[in-house]
Amino acid sequence: MLALATACSNPERSPTTVPGARIAVPRDGPAGEWSMPAGDYSNSRYSELDQITAENVKGLHVAWAFSTGVLRGHEGAPLVVNNTMYLVTPYPNVSYALDLTQEGQPLKWKTRPENAQAATGLACCDVVNRGATYYDGRIYYNLLDGHTVAVNASDGTVAWRTAMGDLSHGETITMAPIVARGKVIVGSSGGEMGVRGWIAALDAKTGKQLWRAYNVGPDADIKAGARYTAFYPQNRGPNQGTSSWPGESWKVGGATVWGWISYDPALNLIYHGTSNPGPWNGVGRPGDNKWSAAIIARDADSGEIVWAFQPTPHDLWDYDAVNENILVDLPLGGTTRKALVHFDRNGFAYTIDRATGEVILAKAYVPMNWSTGVDLKTGRPVLAPDKVPAPGKKLSQICPSLEGGKNQQPAAFSPRTGLFYVPTNNLCMDFETRDVSYIAGTPYIGANAPEVAGPGGYRGEFIAWDATTGRKLWGVKEPFPVWSGALATKGDVVFYGTLDGWLKAVNARTGDVLWKFKVGSGVVGNPMTYLGPDGKQYVAVYAGIGGDMGLLIAGDVAANLPYDVRERGSTLPDLARWTSWGGELFVFAL
Amino acid sequence: MTTIERIAGAGVGLVALLALGEACRESRAAEVPQAPTQSSSAQPARADSAAPFVAHLEHIRPGQAPPRGTTMRNPYAGNAQAIATGAKLFVSYNCVDCHGADGSGAMGPSLADGRWHFGGADGEVFESIYQGRPDGMPAWGSAIAPNQIWMLVAYVQSLSAGKNVSVENFSGKTVERTGH
Ligand code: HEC
Repeated sequence: MLALATACSNPERSPTTVPGARIAVPRDGPAGEWSMPAGDYSNSRYSELDQITAENVKGLHVAWAFSTGVLRGHEGAPLVVNNTMYLVTPYPNVSYALDLTQEGQPLKWKTRPENAQAATGLACCDVVNRGATYYDGRIYYNLLDGHTVAVNASDGTVAWRTAMGDLSHGETITMAPIVARGKVIVGSSGGEMGVRGWIAALDAKTGKQLWRAYNVGPDADIKAGARYTAFYPQNRGPNQGTSSWPGESWKVGGATVWGWISYDPALNLIYHGTSNPGPWNGVGRPGDNKWSAAIIARDADSGEIVWAFQPTPHDLWDYDAVNENILVDLPLGGTTRKALVHFDRNGFAYTIDRATGEVILAKAYVPMNWSTGVDLKTGRPVLAPDKVPAPGKKLSQICPSLEGGKNQQPAAFSPRTGLFYVPTNNLCMDFETRDVSYIAGTPYIGANAPEVAGPGGYRGEFIAWDATTGRKLWGVKEPFPVWSGALATKGDVVFYGTLDGWLKAVNARTGDVLWKFKVGSGVVGNPMTYLGPDGKQYVAVYAGIGGDMGLLIAGDVAANLPYDVRERGSTLPDLARWTSWGGELFVFAL
Repeated sequence: MTTIERIAGAGVGLVALLALGEACRESRAAEVPQAPTQSSSAQPARADSAAPFVAHLEHIRPGQAPPRGTTMRNPYAGNAQAIATGAKLFVSYNCVDCHGADGSGAMGPSLADGRWHFGGADGEVFESIYQGRPDGMPAWGSAIAPNQIWMLVAYVQSLSAGKNVSVENFSGKTVERTGH
């Protein structure tokens, strides 16, 4: 049935590079550090370290490991700054500082901020935390119960703790913040709970909120004003965030910001996605439902919308647009364009002009059938009529499933090859809507959507993508959805982890699997790399299965007993054979 | 925590099921449902009919007095009609999206594996629903009428009746997983 062994050889492989493609904002600071969630503002997840190469990576071995003490989904990655490693655990969101200069990596401090217990049952998709960011002597991160904290890197004391979310309405926070021009950018989770999504900026020094923008509602609330320029005609006119919803349904319209944030200092724009609209059953919300399932560019200082684009207007499939936006400059049509590359849940990879929001290119990067393509005149997907959910319809085999062609697992980009390295899912779903009432603090969903493996029977693939042509160059098929992020390095080795617990190194040019190691639990975190005080390159990754792949609606991770390792019944009935709960950091070196 | 609000244009066809329509139409504060009467098996049983049945809507916390629920009996125990209605209520009150289809577990724990964090006796399950539980189980006592809670209890208990799979054997093609 399913090829459980790694499919290393791939006929689609043909080594190629995209000359002239480059990271928009290469990171400043030492190459050996990793100070923000994605390594840099562009979200490239690329490191200049090159000691580990395609030739020598087979000699990689475990250097040391650290137990976080929490057995839940470990998304995100640790940070390394000033020879100190900073980790944040899933709920209860403990942070640790490890001294890398001493043998045995002793703790410098451990901090456990106050964090309401009730949050654990209100988070849709496990009690994950996608990490911290470092800025000016502090680390900043979010607590599941809706607070943002600043922790002093020197001693672990909490410099400030600001209440941002409303737990009683099901608002939690799981995303990793960034700091842009002294502002900590954070956003809400709870798109499955009928919340009203927002993004906000806090003063890094004081924790005072500087601005907050909702993503649905009147122009004043969503900060659409003088600077808003719609590239496509259907997006022009005032109050798009209310006129595209019936009545006051936007008040429970979702559009949260639980994914990754990128920042272009030259344009002073931050880029973020928004989640699905609420509820999934869309019969009660005819219209485009702006700006749910959207990519939004905002002024970092004021939060004003500069442009917005909906990959999936009037989403009926739970196709959040929260996946990362990778900022690159790409050779396109004879010139170099300031681009943003986004692998959407809906299965299309978008190459977008990051100054204007124009879609330059949109091509399927995974098997899909809900849409036949994107109309570049409007940016809108062309729907396949037999894959559009409606009350009373039992739809089968919609691809991709609600987990998307890709989910939170972030892709990486290497300027050496010009390619994107993308962890993907290959899942399809049946879909049936049902009636749903809004009850504050409970899920607002209204659909059943069991999932199965997509065409070919494999359930995930790690692919290389050329964003100038919209072509997949090679892929490594995986038995399970690839729920870990990717790391690209100057040594032309790319790393990713798997749900069944492998950390793998592949050749950036050919996709050949060069090395793999079975860690203690499934990998849903993002590998990162740093230079130790001994001058050696290390690669670190969390082992700790969890996250949404296993939890949502048809879900079956009967979650809170560590010995109950149950994953999604219909989708991954075999996963429990290959891995078990964990919460550990693994660090590798040559 | 369980204020129930109606947002214009947002509800998608509220299921008219028993008193559910009423319960969801307005928000309400600390309204204690009428105390179930003692005695006969047709009525919820309780030890002390003078005081309100549960005097507080707060979550119980470790260290507090143990719940009194262990002594209560479900008037609908084993009643197929009540279990069927309980199954519908389980969907209507959005229990299903936290606890998964057939209570198999999702954001909230599985209710189908025969293992209880807070006890599986009639009154214990009643109190789990009525008062809520600390890891994010909402307190429904002010929103759901006691007789409906009892139907939910009957349904929830039926999910795990006779099940307690403690071994998962991976050598065969299919695995009977604990909880199923
Ligand atoms: C917002 C999500 C959510 C909703 C909605 C929800 N629950 Fe729960 N429920 C939980 C969580 C989380 C727990 C575990 C609480 C704990 O361990 O402290 C729980 C616990 C329980 C328990 C106790 C289980 C045990 O092992 O003892 C029962 C029974 C239960 N829920 C029934 C229901 C019913 C019936 C409904 C609908 C009326 C419902 N729940 C709605 C999240 C939810």
